[in-house]
Amino acid sequence: MQKPIEETALYRIVNPEHIAMFGASNRFAAMGTNLLSSILALGFEGKIYPVHPEDDQVMGLDAYKSVLDLPVTPDLAFIVLPTKVVPEILEDCGKKGIKQAIIVSGGFKEVGGDGIALEKQLCEIADKYGMRFVGPNCIGVVNPHHKFNATYFPYQQSAGFIGMASQSGSFITQMFDYLAGFGLGYSTGISVGNEANVDIVDCLEYLGACPNTRVISLYIETIRRGKEFIEMARSIVPHKPIVAYYVGGSEGGRKATFSHTGALSGPDRLYDGIFRQSGVIRANSIEEMFDYCLCLGMCPRPAGNRVVVQTHSGGPGAVAADVCTRQGLVLNPIADQTLEKLKQFVPHTGSVNNPIDITYSKNSMDYFVDIPKVLIEDEASDSVLIYFLMPDHSVRRAMESYGISGDEATVQAGAFIDEQSKAVADLIKGFSKPFIGFSFYTRENRFIKNLQDNGIAVLPSPVRAAKALAAMVRYTDYRKKILAGNR
Amino acid sequence: MQLSKQSEIENSAWALSEYESKKLLAEYGIPVTEEVLVQSRDQAVAAAKRIGFPVVLKACSPELMHKSEAGCVELSLTSDDDVAHAYDRILSSVSVELEGVLVAEMVAGARELVLGLTREPQFGPCVMLGLGGVMTEIFKDTVFRVAPFDRVEAEDMVSELKSKAMLNAFRGERPADIKTICQCLISLGKIGLDNPDIFEIDVNPLKIDNDGRVKAVDALVIFGTEAGGKYAKAN
Repeated sequence: MQKPIEETALYRIVNPEHIAMFGASNRFAAMGTNLLSSILALGFEGKIYPVHPEDDQVMGLDAYKSVLDLPVTPDLAFIVLPTKVVPEILEDCGKKGIKQAIIVSGGFKEVGGDGIALEKQLCEIADKYGMRFVGPNCIGVVNPHHKFNATYFPYQQSAGFIGMASQSGSFITQMFDYLAGFGLGYSTGISVGNEANVDIVDCLEYLGACPNTRVISLYIETIRRGKEFIEMARSIVPHKPIVAYYVGGSEGGRKATFSHTGALSGPDRLYDGIFRQSGVIRANSIEEMFDYCLCLGMCPRPAGNRVVVQTHSGGPGAVAADVCTRQGLVLNPIADQTLEKLKQFVPHTGSVNNPIDITYSKNSMDYFVDIPKVLIEDEASDSVLIYFLMPDHSVRRAMESYGISGDEATVQAGAFIDEQSKAVADLIKGFSKPFIGFSFYTRENRFIKNLQDNGIAVLPSPVRAAKALAAMVRYTDYRKKILAGNR
Repeated sequence: MQLSKQSEIENSAWALSEYESKKLLAEYGIPVTEEVLVQSRDQAVAAAKRIGFPVVLKACSPELMHKSEAGCVELSLTSDDDVAHAYDRILSSVSVELEGVLVAEMVAGARELVLGLTREPQFGPCVMLGLGGVMTEIFKDTVFRVAPFDRVEAEDMVSELKSKAMLNAFRGERPADIKTICQCLISLGKIGLDNPDIFEIDVNPLKIDNDGRVKAVDALVIFGTEAGGKYAKAN
């Protein structure tokens, strides 16, 4: 089922070279103008041809009265125009030989009435000319690796590894900042709108083949091509995880039924089964979905469900252990040989039951490097959860206690934090087990930021880290199941 | 939600009787109770003897989708007299036209599953497995898969049940025959794929006997299509 990426419907839509732009003008308040600003702001390297009935120039670019006048045939038409003129414009694009389009304009099937017929018209035009299009009624697409941001919001972080298709445009664009708060970004984000032509299944096909996408996330309210979704997902999951957040119809709103089976088949339970059959990990919130994406994208796949928890603070470690157990993970006691290796690092106040609670370390490298190394090497566990705590002010105070003061203390504290975080990152590079940090600190904290920027998964609570680890184990299980299946 | 009322059914051809429903399941390899459809008291007694006591008698008609109304079912009949009297009671208490009276073996065992098929517009036939018995709609411990699926997927359905522990050795009863349960799930999907006019199926319950063997004790096949047709007219 896997096609080369160049043959997928979305390839040219999210990797265009020449764009015909409809709806941008010199009027700053126009939606189309804003979208063109976003495209220009990310430094799009292809060529843009604004089409405008009056203006010779749009935002400093040469404009054309009609798409038919363009000196080249663009590979993408980007349409942000009033509903009624969209079919006519799409027809012109077809005549020009443009094979791809993004239609941001709304007022189609989603409003009912005439909109339904107008949308049907778009589909017929696309079929006639062999075009594929995203939308209508979408918020656009973003492909930071291609320096292409055709959405309303500025994309300001680096290109990332999360490929997302969403039935809500908000969960593409309004998540830019949220993701940046974890050092994350999109590989590609697609707002699918009404899915009149390109749908979630097409998105899966593209994201499955996309080399920049390490994990796929989906926001789904309904799946239109059910069997194709299952088949496509099952063909991707063996090499790439898929996470979905589903918000569906209410349980009460179902059809009348004569059978118990029908009465019990509310959409939520049905989709539970469909996701599991598809090998898709179901998340219970947007935040959870991105937590899962962070860990699945940054960590190796766990071999199984055995975890060891390392902490120096009782409570956070106990919470991690508790949630792990509730989520079906197993905390085995530490093997004797491992205990032997740990002994030198753990003071008499510490505990070497799982969780390993160090209480304190004389040398911080014990906690960040030597102990994790022993735990990662321990063959009785498949993953490590570790509590991270290094407040900037504490490090600075430590510097001051050595008689360093003022700016020099700040500089040295920074250098110390950098050195420590780099040591953790260097340690885990050689291992193929998930190593997930949890902390109540976020990227505002230099240590956490360094860790994340060096490729270490850190989530902002023990609960979130434990749940994300459990989701990774589900991925391992689903993948095994699909590989074991005979179709 | 509430099941649609019996009175909403205008035409009995929309459903198969229990007897016919089980015949269809059996054709697809789903184990069903040993049973005989009889037309007289004497036939009932003879059938009971052949099957072996205890037996169950049930009014059999495509119009009896849910045999909850009084007098449709007589359980734990252990003698010729029991059967004869039960036969008379059923005939006198049921008002709909009967295909006959069903004499069936009584399956011993505390454990019940519910299996079923429902048709979803975007996915086609979907197979359900759940905790059966009187608590089915209380606990709603059910899992679904879209047909077709393989044995690995069927096994995953079983392992997804919250009450899966009851399929192990349980209160002196032997572990359930999971292999056959999986085969039943796959077969239900196949029935749905082969018969687009079948809209829903209930196998309720699929009983697990003391030796762990499974048998469909009651079944209901309902016709209609996802596109509408008779089913849509009824609503």
